[in-house]
Amino acid sequence: MDLFLQLVANGLVLGAFYALSALGLTLVFGLMRVVNFAHGELYVIGGLFGWALTAVFGWNYFLALVVVVIVLGILGYLIDQILIARVRGQGEEPTILLTIGLSIFIANTALLIVGTTPVTVASPFASKPLILGPVVITQARLLLVVICAVLIAAANLLIQKTTLGRAMRATFQDPMAAQLVGIRTPRIYGFTFALGATLAGAAGMLLGSIYVVEASTGGIISLKAFVVVILGGMGSFAGAVAGGLILGLTEALWGGYVSTGYVDAIGFALVIVTLLVRPYGLFSRRAERA
Amino acid sequence: MAVFLPTGLIVKAQRKNVENRPIDADVNGIKLALGEINARGGVLGKKVELVIEDGQCKPANTVNAAEKLTQRDKVVALIGAFCSSATAAIMPVAQSAKVPLVTGVSSAANLTEKGNTWFFRATETDALLAKSFARILVNQLKLKKVAYIGVNDDFGRGGVEEFEKQMSALGATTVLKEYFEHGTSDYYTLLTKLKASGADGAFVAAETQDGSTLVKQKAELGLSTKVFGVGSWATADFMQLAGPAANGIYAAVPYASTMKTPKNEAFVKAYQDQYKAAPGKYSAAGYNTLNIVVDAIARAQSTDPDKVREALLKTDYEGPNGHFRFDEKGQATGFTVVLVQLENGVPVVVESNTVEK
Amino acid sequence: MKFERNFLLAAVALAALVPLAAYNEYALHIGIMIMFSVMLATSLNLIVGYVGEFPLGHTAFFGIGAYSAALLSARLGLPIYFTIPLAGIVAAISGLAIGAVTLRLRGPFFVIVTLCFAEVLRLVANNWIDLTNGPMGVSGIAKPPSIAGASGVQQKLWFYYAGLVLAAASLLVSYRFVYSNIGRAAVAVRENRFVAQSIGIWPFYLGLITFVLAAAVGGLAGGFYAHYISYVGPEVFGFSFMITMIIMVLAGGKGTLAGPVVGAVLVVFLEEYLRDFKDLRFSIFGLIVVGVVIFLPRGLMGFIGRRHESYERRPAESAKGGVKRDRRAPALEPAGLNRGGAADA
Repeated sequence: MDLFLQLVANGLVLGAFYALSALGLTLVFGLMRVVNFAHGELYVIGGLFGWALTAVFGWNYFLALVVVVIVLGILGYLIDQILIARVRGQGEEPTILLTIGLSIFIANTALLIVGTTPVTVASPFASKPLILGPVVITQARLLLVVICAVLIAAANLLIQKTTLGRAMRATFQDPMAAQLVGIRTPRIYGFTFALGATLAGAAGMLLGSIYVVEASTGGIISLKAFVVVILGGMGSFAGAVAGGLILGLTEALWGGYVSTGYVDAIGFALVIVTLLVRPYGLFSRRAERA
Repeated sequence: MAVFLPTGLIVKAQRKNVENRPIDADVNGIKLALGEINARGGVLGKKVELVIEDGQCKPANTVNAAEKLTQRDKVVALIGAFCSSATAAIMPVAQSAKVPLVTGVSSAANLTEKGNTWFFRATETDALLAKSFARILVNQLKLKKVAYIGVNDDFGRGGVEEFEKQMSALGATTVLKEYFEHGTSDYYTLLTKLKASGADGAFVAAETQDGSTLVKQKAELGLSTKVFGVGSWATADFMQLAGPAANGIYAAVPYASTMKTPKNEAFVKAYQDQYKAAPGKYSAAGYNTLNIVVDAIARAQSTDPDKVREALLKTDYEGPNGHFRFDEKGQATGFTVVLVQLENGVPVVVESNTVEK
Repeated sequence: MKFERNFLLAAVALAALVPLAAYNEYALHIGIMIMFSVMLATSLNLIVGYVGEFPLGHTAFFGIGAYSAALLSARLGLPIYFTIPLAGIVAAISGLAIGAVTLRLRGPFFVIVTLCFAEVLRLVANNWIDLTNGPMGVSGIAKPPSIAGASGVQQKLWFYYAGLVLAAASLLVSYRFVYSNIGRAAVAVRENRFVAQSIGIWPFYLGLITFVLAAAVGGLAGGFYAHYISYVGPEVFGFSFMITMIIMVLAGGKGTLAGPVVGAVLVVFLEEYLRDFKDLRFSIFGLIVVGVVIFLPRGLMGFIGRRHESYERRPAESAKGGVKRDRRAPALEPAGLNRGGAADA
């Protein structure tokens, strides 16, 4: 029983982290329908920036986080306006190829600059074991789950309650109609991508304080994020949370009771089954996009 | 970029998918040896040149790189590759091009069993390490129940299999045997299983990144299981990344910077002067491999591949970690392997053992 | 069609003569890599160019072919003349199974679900030790006995011509397929799915046939790779082969048969010559990919082919007008209609 409780706790924490690392992609892939293979690299850039500012220059953790958020936002806006805008409306292949090219470029340039050593973001949270009955967790992880929840709620508010959020939703539901009512859709695309990049970078920095950051891990981050977004249903933050938790829990229980060798296959197998049974994701309302 | 050089040498820098660090260390060791050799005036009156290609640890890319090096650059000898699977893939290339291939890293036991006369391995195999240290580990740590954890590749699986075989023969029961993928970031599930298994000790085969994350998370979970293993444990990078969580770990390694031989003290000093860090096992491997190759060329008095190969077979080279001689299969013997315990960032030698045939 | 046929015939004839001019191991090795890449690119192009979907897990078939040939050769001792065709057949059967499942989805969903299949296969190859020998891979795959004692360059020559025969056969089959009624129907679906359906074409069935053919060609490439490299490990399912394949097809020009051939030649040479840039080369490679998407959206052959067509068919072009198109995404581009959304079959 203790084993089960600990595994469930591990799975929930892991799931929250999966959700966090997939938030950016929920917007970019789920809402904008840009199959963004550079998502993981944006996450890595966030982590590396966070490491450089906190560990190398000794900045305060939260100040560094703010800087990371701003830098990634600008970077994302530029990527969208300079590159992705040129292939908008041409189907998914050009975008996929474009983002793959971008991810190759970012990953290898990062390797050249920071080298291949894994690094860690200096964090103010303690990583001492925290014993809650039969379950062991650390303060850092618990805090990060809370931050994760706050971020998700904030992003959700932004999309649901603000003018910008409404403009975004309108643009992706019907760009023509959105334009007709006076929304500057090209800028909305840019803002959405920027927000996606910001969330990816913030996730990279936050998780970089618990795990390690490495220039070459972008690919696996992207893949898992796609799994989370598809499991949860496209374009909804609640879906991303659900997708993350499902993935985290299944991985933890499978790894705990069956074998850790196949753990990475579970997410992919789940996606295959989900897409076949409910092509729009587990929690998505079909009517959302006709 | 044709290189017309009587003595071209190659390093195949393999960028492993996730664990990248050792390659730099490998190349650093080779570059240090290169500087020393050329400062002495090179070999046969000519400077040694290094042509570095990156095979990314992928067999197809490594074959491409080896073809380019043997055909386009006309190198005298190949050094590499890093990953055993990539080395296995280029061994036929070396044979058909008649270029000696010396690896200082690839440890899969079967490489020297393929009957390839152009292949030499100047390092240990997992089987040799397991044979050398299984007894002392079982006795000293009083192991009865052992858990085996390895990275899911040829290196990890090889290490787990060999150690399990030797330790089971000494009466230790296997309570857990699990593999994880390179680049896994969360080991809580694995560690929870380790805790539930009630093992006295855990054997871990991992490289820097995976290994450091694993032991850090083990400390976070408050697990006190003793850890011993093979891989990049006795390196400065590992100890820095793992921090206090590295304390007490036993590592069976072919090289540690704290080995007490005059050769090693000189090597460590030279390495620290150049790179501001203590050398790890890959640095020593790179350093040894290039020296062995150049030594063979000097004794052959020629860069003719057949003569260099003959000379390699008669190698008796003294490196920081002992003597290297090759048997007829191309496997090195005579060098020293050590069991170290990590204490506050220093690998303390517990036991050393000379590898005999 | 005529231009394409002549181009391909000339390319094959030229390739057959190359060893006369460049009879050395390195040149032949590059030639062999080109043959292998042409097969891969042709295989991917059948789906990207003629079904209009984007299978990001196409390495599944390459990998299945490579493992089939490797295991049949290493475990059962079958000769290369059987293992490579069998690799194609096994891949085709798996293509039928995977295609039947994945072709129900479209757009980004298809992209991701195929990728998931390839990843699952990679993990199976990595963990099913008894069958695949896991991460240790299958090594020592036999070369054909007829060249066993031959020198390095003679062995390469054999593989070069074997590769040429396989590549030419793949192109021939693709050519016959593309210009058959089924092929034309597939193009109709790609151009406008709904119009095609309205005239009685069943897109799912067409897609499946194309998928199986593409899988077979991919499997042949895998079998050839296994015997030439003589080692197969789980990385055959990896993403790096996929990236090379995509770049070859899109840089050369999808939806034409000549495009992938040009793309394969280009990419192999590019990868070889970028070596001189050392560590910078991957960054440069990434930039080139981005550049191709932006500046050559229809690939080299698309660019040349359009020039060529515009001389012959200018009058016809204007008659087809009426659809709003932007300057570089003309008729061949999948229309906005068939994006997004999931199954409709």
